[in-house]
Amino acid sequence: MNGKYVVSVIRALRLTNFSQCKGAASSFTVRHYASPPKRFYKKTSVASGDSGYEVVLDHRKLKTPKGTPFIVRSEPLAIAVATEFDAQKENIERSRMHLSALCFTAIDNPNHLSKLDMVNYLLNFIATDTVLFQYDDEKDLQDLQVNEWDPVIAWFNQRYDTNLQKTMNITPPQVSEQDKMNVAKHFQSYSLETLHGFIFAVDTLKSIVLACAVIEQMLTVEKAVALARLEEEYQLKFWGRVEWAHDLSQQELQARLAAAVLFVHLNCSENLVKQKIIL
Amino acid sequence: MAGTKVLRSLLHELRQASPNGCIKDSLAARYILAQYKKFATTEQQFCKARNEATFLGQTYLTYLASQRRYLELYKEYHGRGERSVRDTADLVGFKLPSDPK
Repeated sequence: MNGKYVVSVIRALRLTNFSQCKGAASSFTVRHYASPPKRFYKKTSVASGDSGYEVVLDHRKLKTPKGTPFIVRSEPLAIAVATEFDAQKENIERSRMHLSALCFTAIDNPNHLSKLDMVNYLLNFIATDTVLFQYDDEKDLQDLQVNEWDPVIAWFNQRYDTNLQKTMNITPPQVSEQDKMNVAKHFQSYSLETLHGFIFAVDTLKSIVLACAVIEQMLTVEKAVALARLEEEYQLKFWGRVEWAHDLSQQELQARLAAAVLFVHLNCSENLVKQKIIL
Repeated sequence: MAGTKVLRSLLHELRQASPNGCIKDSLAARYILAQYKKFATTEQQFCKARNEATFLGQTYLTYLASQRRYLELYKEYHGRGERSVRDTADLVGFKLPSDPK
C-alpha cells in the first residue's frame, strides 16, 4: 500500500516537472522582426503636376509614411527617388534609402519642427562640434588635426564672419552671441525642407563646420567623412582595420552625407543663385 | 576631363543598381546625359556656383557607390542565423556519414 503511494507521488512529481519544463520551453522567446515589404511594382517613373513632381510606381502614386502624396519641387530629386525605388531587389529596404527617407521626413515633418527649432538645434551643435575638440597629448595626432581641421575652421570663420576657437581640453569652446547671430542668419535664409537636409548632414558628421564646408563645395563628401573620422583613422593605424566595423560605418556615413548634400542642393538651387549675386 | 570620368562611373553605378542591369530606359541616366549635353561647353552660363554641376555629379556618384559597397559588406558579414551541420563540418574539415569516403 505504502509502495503504491510512493510510486504515485513520484509519478505526480515527474508530471509536474515535465509540465514545468514544457512551460519553460514555450516561454523561450523568439524575436520576430517585421519583414520588409515586398517590391510590389515593376516600373518606376516620374510625373509632373501643377505643384511639383511625383513618383509613380507602375500606376500607383508614391505616398509618404503619413499618407500624404509625395510631391517635390525639384525634378532631379524626384528622378533620384524613383531610381532608388527601382534599385530595390525583392524587398523594399527602407532603412537604406536615405534620399527617399530624407524627402519623406521633409514632407511629413513628423516631429512638427519649426524653422526656429531647427536653427536652434544647429546653433546648439556648435559648442559640441567635432573639429573644435582637439587633443595635444599625442604629437602625431595633434599634427594631423592642425593640418586637416584648422584650415576648415579658418574657412568657416571667414565665410560666416565668426570667431570660433578650438579647445584643447574638456571645456567646451566659447561661442559668442554675435557668432550665433551670424550663423543663425545664414540658416534662417533656407527653407524648412532644406534645413532637414542640414540637420541630417550635421547629425551624420557630428560637426556643423564640416557640414557647411561640404554643402558649400569646399570639401568633397569622401574628404568630409574622412575628416569627421580623423581620430578613428589615426587609431586604425595601430590597432588594425576591421572591415565589418570601420569600412561599414565609413560607407554608411558617406551614403548618408551624400544624400543630405544632394537634398540641400536640389532643394535650394534658387538660394544659391541669389547668394552669387550678393557676392 | 574629370567630367567624362564622373559620367562613365555614374552610368556604371546606375547599371549596377538597376534590377536587370540595363539602363536603356532609365530616367536617371537620361537626365544625367541631358545635363551633360546642356553643360557641354561650360557650366557657368546659368549663374550657378563654380563647378556646381560637376560637384553634384560627384556627390551622386558617391551616394550610389557607397550604398553598393555598404550592401556588399552587409551581405558578407551580417549574421544568417545558425550554421547547418554540413556547413560546420565543412568549416572544420570533417565529412558527414552520408558523404563518400
